[in-house]
Amino acid sequence: MSDLFFLPDLTSAAAQLPWYALLVLAAALAGEAAQRWLRLPRLLGWIAVGGALGPHALGLLDPEALDALQPVLDLALGVVLFELGQRVDLSWLRRNPWLLGTSVLESTLAFAAMFAVLLALEASPLLAAVAAAIGISTAPAVVLSVTRDLRAQGQVTERALLLTALNCAYAYVAVSVLLAWLAREYAADWRVIVLHPLYLIFGSLALAAAFAGAALGLLRLLGRRRDAQFLCVFALVVLAVWAAATLNLPVALALLGFGAAIRMLDRRRLFVSLDFGRIGAILLILLFAILAARLEWELVPAGIVAGGVLVAARFAGKALGVLALAPLAGLPLRKASLLAFALTPMSGVALVLVHDTARLYPQFGPALAAILVAAIAMLELLGPLFAHFALVRAGEAADEGR
Amino acid sequence: MERLDFRQSAPLTMGVELELQLVSSRDCDLTRAASDLLSQVAKRAHAGEIKPEITESMIEVSTGIHARHDTLVQELRAIRGVLLEVAEKLNVGVCGGGAHPFQHWSDRRIMDAPRMKHVSQLYGYLAKQFTVFGQHVHIGCPDGDAALYLLHAVSRYIPHLIALSAASPYYQGVDTAFESSRLNAVFAFPLSGRAPFVQTWDDFNGYFGKLSGAGIVDSMKDFYWDIRPKPEFGTIEIRVCDTPLTVERAAALAAYAQALARWLLIERPQRISEDLYLAYTYNRFQACRFGLGGEFVDPVSGTRRGISEEVLETLAALAVHARALGSEAALGEIEAIVRQGNDARWMRERFADSGSLPDLVWRQVERLRAGC
Repeated sequence: MSDLFFLPDLTSAAAQLPWYALLVLAAALAGEAAQRWLRLPRLLGWIAVGGALGPHALGLLDPEALDALQPVLDLALGVVLFELGQRVDLSWLRRNPWLLGTSVLESTLAFAAMFAVLLALEASPLLAAVAAAIGISTAPAVVLSVTRDLRAQGQVTERALLLTALNCAYAYVAVSVLLAWLAREYAADWRVIVLHPLYLIFGSLALAAAFAGAALGLLRLLGRRRDAQFLCVFALVVLAVWAAATLNLPVALALLGFGAAIRMLDRRRLFVSLDFGRIGAILLILLFAILAARLEWELVPAGIVAGGVLVAARFAGKALGVLALAPLAGLPLRKASLLAFALTPMSGVALVLVHDTARLYPQFGPALAAILVAAIAMLELLGPLFAHFALVRAGEAADEGR
Repeated sequence: MERLDFRQSAPLTMGVELELQLVSSRDCDLTRAASDLLSQVAKRAHAGEIKPEITESMIEVSTGIHARHDTLVQELRAIRGVLLEVAEKLNVGVCGGGAHPFQHWSDRRIMDAPRMKHVSQLYGYLAKQFTVFGQHVHIGCPDGDAALYLLHAVSRYIPHLIALSAASPYYQGVDTAFESSRLNAVFAFPLSGRAPFVQTWDDFNGYFGKLSGAGIVDSMKDFYWDIRPKPEFGTIEIRVCDTPLTVERAAALAAYAQALARWLLIERPQRISEDLYLAYTYNRFQACRFGLGGEFVDPVSGTRRGISEEVLETLAALAVHARALGSEAALGEIEAIVRQGNDARWMRERFADSGSLPDLVWRQVERLRAGC
């Protein structure tokens, strides 16, 4: 055999197999299949492939491979939130203050409903609060990706994006604060209780403003060349993700703020069409696939009933908040109920938070983790479907799943 | 064969229809917003009418019947007020201009209504390319014969109205070199251009009967002429103007057409004949391409001069009629357009200033809001 030296050494090659490329390939194929034959949103295909290949199912992707992909995940999340930030128009809140009211109300009601359910399930109040805070946020990646897939435009779409950006901001601040309290076992004094959220909020906003200022300065220097603009902003997004993490600021809030600030400060509208195009699309695929791979599907059966109740409570809270103020915010009730459906997707990032919390705090307990994992799994599948059909039914899709 | 009856209307009254653009406040591109906007507008009592148009990114507003320019401006401002109030709440920009500077026609979505779907099926990509925005001016006529006289007599002045209103220099992301590129999109339709030279309402009915008998047309709506009679209103409808950037300018253009009509109907300064149309397409092209800087060939004498010179001279002839109609101020605005430039020029200057077409669109939004 030693004569056939030119044949490849397959055993060592397998160890270096670029898993992420295979993952992207398989997910992309499944996404196309979902869209073409099932007329479902592509991202369901991505999620299915991630879940199937992950350590909790077929196990082709082992936990090590997933950990190696963590930086990609962070980047993908940063890009998604940056794009979402760029899409929302905060001045709209000034012109239609009832939208801000809607946002606060739907977030509060969803939090309260989930908190109540979790308390009834005998979770400790602080842990219940953490879990309920995680559930406030609508998945930005899902809403953005569904909107883009359908090329949707209209009031339900625009409001879903705006409310998603806002509830993400609330959720991330609340979760960071609650986790910090949890870490100190209620021992924090009042200064920490006041200063910590202030640091998170104003720190993120200051970071966002600094990066937006830098980005606009650079973009002006570079002029109107699309490619150069894109590379420059991409690099800044990567840096902003790192800076926020280093400063212990919520990455999500900082990046949302970065996107929103670029839009607000770009008075001459020179960069309105900035987007991450194909790179953004690949990052999205990885984001969904990796998060699905991490989901502990085996926990789902144990938590399915309680998880279902939690999902229903969350939906009820959001729907009530959106519907209650719809007439004042200028949205017909039919569209308001579709908007409530568009807000159902739950962020897969919630999973990461649940993971981290469960690992750090033994009192979190496997029962609570199972309930949350089951809720996340349900919403992982139902959320994109609801959002998809809400936008289609609202008549706001340009491509209705074609 | 059904006969078209020309309903009598008070002579020289006027009404205005404006097609307006709905743009996203994010990227300033056209956006689907008509249904959302109309559902909110429907809840408010308001002057005039606000209606859907062929695509979701367009709405049409129309006024009632006015004898005077000042009441017309008032009504247009009131309609604008309601529209902008709702648009602000929905975060949608509303603006004038004859065409969106950079929208891509294949992105347009046809409104969900039977007639719109039919037009879209029949004309294919033309229907979507027809995402252009015009002002229509109705002038009341005592009877069908007078309407046809006025239609032919006014045709000589069509280049004035094109040049004064031109507001579509940019189309599909490029400078077209035209001041009104919108009309090029209209000319693609089979029944566009000028009406046939018939002088009496009976003859017009004969013509219409032949076309509808041959299955070419169903109703007057199938004609895309520059000027067409509108028998059910008892008016002629002048359709060549781009939607101006302000409602005040729209009212001034209507008042100019009204004064022209008064002059032509009362003094009958020209004998109408087919010869009036000799230079018609040439003059119209000059007006679309060069605006007020274009050339005008007199169809009778064959002499040529600038369109702005022509307009100024016509304004002098209209002075006495403007006094009678109470529209001196409006004709003063027309003179100011000749001296200071039309909307197309304003748009080119703004673009030269910022280099950004989205920025231009947003300035159009602000211009409509601020008025002149």
